[in-house]
Amino acid sequence: MSEILTRSGLRVGSPAVYGGAAACLVLLVLPFYLDRFWLQAGLFAMAAALGAIGINLLTGATGQLSMGHAFFLAVGAYGYCAFAGDGADGLAGLGLPGWLAAVLAVALSGLAGGVFSPIAGRLRGAYLGIATLALIFIGQHVLFNAHDLTGGFNGRAVPPLSLFGLTFDDTELLVAQVPFGAVEKLWYLGLALLLGGVLFARGVLRGRPGRAMNAIRDHRIAAGVMGIPVARYRAAVFVLSSMYAGLAGVLLALVFQRTVPEYFGMALSLEYLAMIVIGGLGSVAGAVAGGVFVSLLPQLLNRYSDALPLVSAPGTGGIAPGEAARYLYGAAVVAVVLFLPGGLARLAARRPGKPGSGKSPKTPMHTPNTPTTTEPSGEAR
Amino acid sequence: MTAPPPPPGEHIPALEVRDLTVRFAGLTALDAVGFTVRPGTVHALIGPNGAGKSTCFNVLSGVYRATEGSVRLGPHELTALPPHRIADLGVGRIFQNLALPPRATVEDSLMLGRHRLTRTGFVAAGLRLPSAAREEARHRARVREIAAFVGLEQQLARPAGSLPYGQQKLAELARALCMEPKLLLLDEPVAGMTADERRRTASVIAGVRDSLGISVLLVEHDMGLVMRLADSVTVLDFGRRIADGAPGDVQNDPAVVRAYLGEESAA
Ligand SMILES: Nc1ncnc2c1ncn2[C@@H]1O[C@H](COP(=O)(O)OP(=O)(O)OP(=O)(O)O)[C@@H](O)[C@H]1O
Ligand SMILES: [Mg+2]
Repeated sequence: MSEILTRSGLRVGSPAVYGGAAACLVLLVLPFYLDRFWLQAGLFAMAAALGAIGINLLTGATGQLSMGHAFFLAVGAYGYCAFAGDGADGLAGLGLPGWLAAVLAVALSGLAGGVFSPIAGRLRGAYLGIATLALIFIGQHVLFNAHDLTGGFNGRAVPPLSLFGLTFDDTELLVAQVPFGAVEKLWYLGLALLLGGVLFARGVLRGRPGRAMNAIRDHRIAAGVMGIPVARYRAAVFVLSSMYAGLAGVLLALVFQRTVPEYFGMALSLEYLAMIVIGGLGSVAGAVAGGVFVSLLPQLLNRYSDALPLVSAPGTGGIAPGEAARYLYGAAVVAVVLFLPGGLARLAARRPGKPGSGKSPKTPMHTPNTPTTTEPSGEAR
Repeated sequence: MTAPPPPPGEHIPALEVRDLTVRFAGLTALDAVGFTVRPGTVHALIGPNGAGKSTCFNVLSGVYRATEGSVRLGPHELTALPPHRIADLGVGRIFQNLALPPRATVEDSLMLGRHRLTRTGFVAAGLRLPSAAREEARHRARVREIAAFVGLEQQLARPAGSLPYGQQKLAELARALCMEPKLLLLDEPVAGMTADERRRTASVIAGVRDSLGISVLLVEHDMGLVMRLADSVTVLDFGRRIADGAPGDVQNDPAVVRAYLGEESAA
C-alpha cells in the first residue's frame, strides 16, 4: 500500500503535499485580494492550462501534431453561445440552461474531433499537423461568414452561466464584505474545472491508456505488435484532446463575455504548441506550467509596460506589449528546445530535495553500449 | 529454471508458413518460403545477413503484407490481420533493434505487454475507478513474477533506457512474455549480450518451452545457442529456403555450409 502511495506522489507529510495544500489555499483566497484585472488574467491562464492539457495528451504524449487546436476551442466557445443563447440578439440560440449548454458544448467539440478522427487515426505525426491546418481555414471561414450563428466579424455576446441557482454574471454578491462579480465567481468554477481536468488527465496518462499512447509515440510499430490498436487509439486521443479544447473554449468565452472570430486563428494554435513545448511535452504539469506562462506573459507586460524599457502602449512608438510577449515566448521556445529538454516541468522535478529526483543518484546511468546503429523507431526490424 | 505458473491451460496451435513470398520494389526478400513450427518447440530460422529473416517476422506479426502465400496459426490466417489482432491471438515478438521506451520504468514497460489482457479505458483510468485500480494491481503482481523469472526484479523501478544493453534486451523478452503468448517470435534475442546474459536468456527460452509449452520461433546468429536450443531449423539464403530439418542434419548440409562460407567454397 505504501508503495502505491509513493508511486502517486501522495506520501502523507511529504513537502509536496504541504506545498500543494498551501498553494490551494492561496488560490482559494485570491479573489478576496486581487482586482478584476488579475483575476481575469488568472482565469485566462486556467483556460489556457485546460486547453494545453488537451493538446499535450495528443502531441506530447501520443506524438500526434495538431495545428487545429484553436478550431476546437472555437467549437466550444461558439457552441456554448448557441446552446445557451436565447435568440434575443437575433442570433441562433436554443436557450438552454447555462450548465447544460456548457456540457453540450464540450460534447460538441468531442463530436467535431470524432468527425475528424478517421483522418486523425490514419495520419501520423507531422502529416496530421498539416491536415489539421484545414480545420483552421474552415473554422475561420465559418466564423466570419455564418452570421446567423456566429455574429460574423463582431462575434456574439456570451450568455452568463448559471449553476445551482448561482448566476456567473456581474450582479454583485457580497461574500465577507467583498463584492463578488463575474470574475470572482468564475474564479472558483475555473479552479474546479482545472483541478478536475488535471486529475482526469493524470489518471489517463498513468494508467493503461497512457502507456499505450506513449508506446505509439515512441515505437509505433512495436505498439501495434504489442496489441495496441494504433489507429483507434489515435482517434480516441484526438477526441479527448478536442474535448479539453472545447472546455477551455467555454471557459474563455465566459471570461471574455464575448467571442470574436479572429481570436481563434492560426496564432492561437501556435500559442498552444508553444505552451506545451515551454512547459514540457507529455506531462500534465508541463501543460499547466506552459499554459500559465504563455497566457500571463502578455498580461504582465501590458500591466507593467511603463516600467519596462522598449515596451510601451500600442501606437506610441515602442514595441506593443502583445508583440513583446510574442518575441519573448518565441525566444522561450527556442531556449527550452536547446537548453531545457523536458521544459519547465522537468526543471521543477530536478530541484534538489524533491521526491523523484532522489532516485537518479542511487542508480548510476549506464550508457547503453549499443552495438547496432540506432534506427528511426519506425523501422520494423 | 522454472517458469512462472502458466496461465490457465490453453491450447498451443501450430504455425504453418506456406509459399510465403514478399517483394519490395524490384527485390524478392522472401521467395516461396515454407516451414512449420510444431506446438511447444523451439524452431530456429537462420541465414546470412539480408536472408529475409526479419522480413519473415514482419509478415508473421502483421507489419508487412505478404505478396503471396499463407501463414496459419491454428485456424487463423494471419496474412490478412493487422498487428494488434495478431497480438490478440497470442503472438509475442521482440525486435532485432530495441523497441523499449527509454524513459519509462522497466515495470511500466512490462505493463505494456499486459495491454491485450487488460480492459481499462480512458474513462475508467481518468476517473480512477476502483475496477481500474484492481486490474492494475493484479497485473503489476504478475509483471513482477515474470521480471523475477528473467532476473530483472531488481531493475523494475529503473528507467529502461538506463540499463545496460543486454538487460534492455532481456526486458524486451520479459515484455513479450508478459503478453502470455502462445507463440514467441525472437529476433536475435542475445545480440549484444555478455556471455552471462546469453546463458540466462538461453535458459529463459528453454524454460518457456519446457514449462509453459509455448512455441518459439528464433532468429539468431549465435550458432552455438541455436544448436543447443532448437528442436528444428530452417535455413534461408537470399530469400530462399535452402535447408530444413533437425539441427544436426542442417549443420552438415552442403548448401548451408556454402551459404555461410560464401565465395570461399563456391570457388
Ligand atoms: N521495408 C523494406 N523495403 C525494402 N527492402 C527491404 C525492406 N525490409 C527489408 N528489405 C530488404 O529485404 C532483404 C532481407 O532483409 P531482412 O531484414 O529480412 O534480413 P535479415 O535476414 O533479417 O538480415 P539480418 O541478419 O542482417 O538481420 C534485405 O535485402 C533488405 O534490404
Ligand atoms: Mg534481421
